[in-house]
Amino acid sequence: MTKAAALLLAGGLALTACASDEEPAADGGDTGGGAAADAPKIGLAFDTGGEGDRSFNDSAVAGVEAAIEANGGTVAKLSPNDDGSNRADLLTQLADQGYDPIIAVGFAYSDVIGDIAEQYPDVTFAQVDGAVEDAGSPENLTGLLFAEEEGSFLAGVAAATKTEADHVGFVGGVETPLIQKFQAGFEAGVEAVNPDIQVDSQYISPAGDFSGFNDPARGKIVAQGMYDAGADIVYHAAGGSGIGVFQAAAESGGRAIGVDSDQYQTVDDPALQAVIMTSMLKRVDNAVEQFIGNYVEGDVAGGENQRFDLESEGVGLSTSGGFIDDIQDDLDTYREQIISGDIEVPTTP
Amino acid sequence: MSTTASTRATPAGRGPLTEFFLGGSRARRITLLLVGAFVLVSAVRVISGEESLTASSTIAAALLLAVPIGLAALGGLFAERAGVVNIGLDGMMTLGTWGAGFCGYQWGWQAAIVGGMLFGALGGLLHAVATVTFGVDHVVSGVAINILAAGLVRFLSELLYSDNPAGGGVTQSPALTSRPPEVSLPVLSSGPDLLGDLERLNWFLLSDVAGVLRGLTSGVGPTTILAVLLIPISYLILWRTAFGLRLRACGENPAAADSLGVAVYRMKYIAVIISGSLAGLGGVFLVFIAGIYREGQTNGRGFIGLAALIFGNWRPGGLAAGAGLFGFADALQLRSRSAVVALFLLLAVVLAAVAVWQATRRKLLQAVTAAVFAGITLTGFLTIDELAPGLVSFTPHLTTLLVLSLASQRLRMPKADGLVYRRGEH
Repeated sequence: MTKAAALLLAGGLALTACASDEEPAADGGDTGGGAAADAPKIGLAFDTGGEGDRSFNDSAVAGVEAAIEANGGTVAKLSPNDDGSNRADLLTQLADQGYDPIIAVGFAYSDVIGDIAEQYPDVTFAQVDGAVEDAGSPENLTGLLFAEEEGSFLAGVAAATKTEADHVGFVGGVETPLIQKFQAGFEAGVEAVNPDIQVDSQYISPAGDFSGFNDPARGKIVAQGMYDAGADIVYHAAGGSGIGVFQAAAESGGRAIGVDSDQYQTVDDPALQAVIMTSMLKRVDNAVEQFIGNYVEGDVAGGENQRFDLESEGVGLSTSGGFIDDIQDDLDTYREQIISGDIEVPTTP
Repeated sequence: MSTTASTRATPAGRGPLTEFFLGGSRARRITLLLVGAFVLVSAVRVISGEESLTASSTIAAALLLAVPIGLAALGGLFAERAGVVNIGLDGMMTLGTWGAGFCGYQWGWQAAIVGGMLFGALGGLLHAVATVTFGVDHVVSGVAINILAAGLVRFLSELLYSDNPAGGGVTQSPALTSRPPEVSLPVLSSGPDLLGDLERLNWFLLSDVAGVLRGLTSGVGPTTILAVLLIPISYLILWRTAFGLRLRACGENPAAADSLGVAVYRMKYIAVIISGSLAGLGGVFLVFIAGIYREGQTNGRGFIGLAALIFGNWRPGGLAAGAGLFGFADALQLRSRSAVVALFLLLAVVLAAVAVWQATRRKLLQAVTAAVFAGITLTGFLTIDELAPGLVSFTPHLTTLLVLSLASQRLRMPKADGLVYRRGEH
């Protein structure tokens, strides 16, 4: 009897293992196997969701592929398991197999990447969305950070210019400092256009409870509350819960602003495409490509953060659907002002 | 509900008022308690000015949150009444979300319901094979199914959605090709919207009733109607049919049932498969909200359903109340943070009533404790404008805990629940 139980468990674990690519699948780049001797062997460790999430991880893949196209080299990709508990193992595995540089995607790696970087002092590490200070500032780690607040500021400008009810909303997934940057930028952008516009900001779950990034039902209820209260445009920074925000927008006749990737392109549903006014893009692909380029040229200093902002095209607004084409001049004006430093965007609400 | 004959004679030590509320038949007591609670909520709504307490939009959101929990709990009811503990509800729900996404994107919403229930039922079948045929410990098998389901859906998504021209990816399915229709009660909740008019007048009690009714009857989908109907249907099946009696006998005393000719193994199989398909239906409901399958979208609702089942004393009405309470508290904290503070006033009134009641029973310590806490919560209501968001989000869990501890109900699980039954060994 216990044998049957053990079998069942083993089966479950085996399937889970299948699902998360334990063995790194080394893909030759577009340049094929004949890469130069100094071509980088890039290790890529994903955030939960893995390749094919049509957002963050896929964006990192696009960046790596572009870099391989330019510099040659190969890539190995690893995904963490469902609860992300094997993140440290992924990095160790890549380092042991001689991958260099190793790029970790997502702020959740901050807890583990510091120790591993110290264990492998000769390997160059980079972490998307993670500051080196959070990982104990090892010398061989570069943080690839984004000025989310600047992109969100433009999203706020777009919302404030387009609102007819003088009432907009912001739905955050989890109340972390990272998501608060989105809120702060958005609120500042709205205020810059018209201080009388009301902004409702709410989070789906508090800090520590990460369910808020993956609960479309709760996302829909929070956004529905804002549309019911009179808001007509809601900006979300809630990851997988965002589709609930779009559903609420479609049902209430409102509009929504997406986040991270061009969600107009990835939502697969014409009814929802119609409500996605624009998306605040985080160009993880640009950041990753640029980092690998620097690595190949030997320009990676390490131990410091690289910040990707409006100026370096690290963040911006998508234009798919053509909903914000008519206000592009306004947006460009604000963009110039942020780049020149005339407008300072806050990072905390 | 067992309708014991009401005792006319007033028991010693009870005043006429206590007798009015606590005497009489069980059904009358419950009705009075519910009406009393509703009047109280309505009064709190008027005093605090928090219209969202009984607004139709809050109630609609509560329904949206309560239905998947209630369906999982109903699934648990069938399994546990037949004596099989089902920790795997969450995994079966996850399988249901995947099945709904897979069938829904190809053949529309009707197929999504069938697919989701079928996938959930497959999870149930696996649990039945493990626990009934092979006698695996119920908890071990349930936990294994939760792990297995998470791995299986990821594996299937990778296989079928990675390069799918219809869209989707490792973590999500393509969008459903059709959405289930939504219906509203004509005249009352749509068109002339009489209930809506009444709700907007903000009258004491009347507007609250209108708000609740409107919330429950406007824009509901087929799965919601099905879920609500399943509560009385489950009661009728389990307590009013021979099949139900046999099923429950397997959960109370399988050896006795066996000796009377009940096919215990088969009954358990049927019960656990029904359990899985109901949990799967809960998953379908979640897929309908999002319009796609998304990995991890159950967010542990299967486990909360299990808690609602225990809260409801393994009875359909009780588990519906548990799911409803959890859904309401969750909806309230998601829609209005300030309305949560109004719950303090509600709590203060309830605690004050408990204090008075305990005082009349000469239990001074309990009375003083309740009075002190009533004072604290009342002060909280008067001084706090808005709670810290970290606290607010735990409202549903705290409310459920409080009700459980205040209700001091005598929970009784099926007697042979969780025990492995081997024919001839008992």
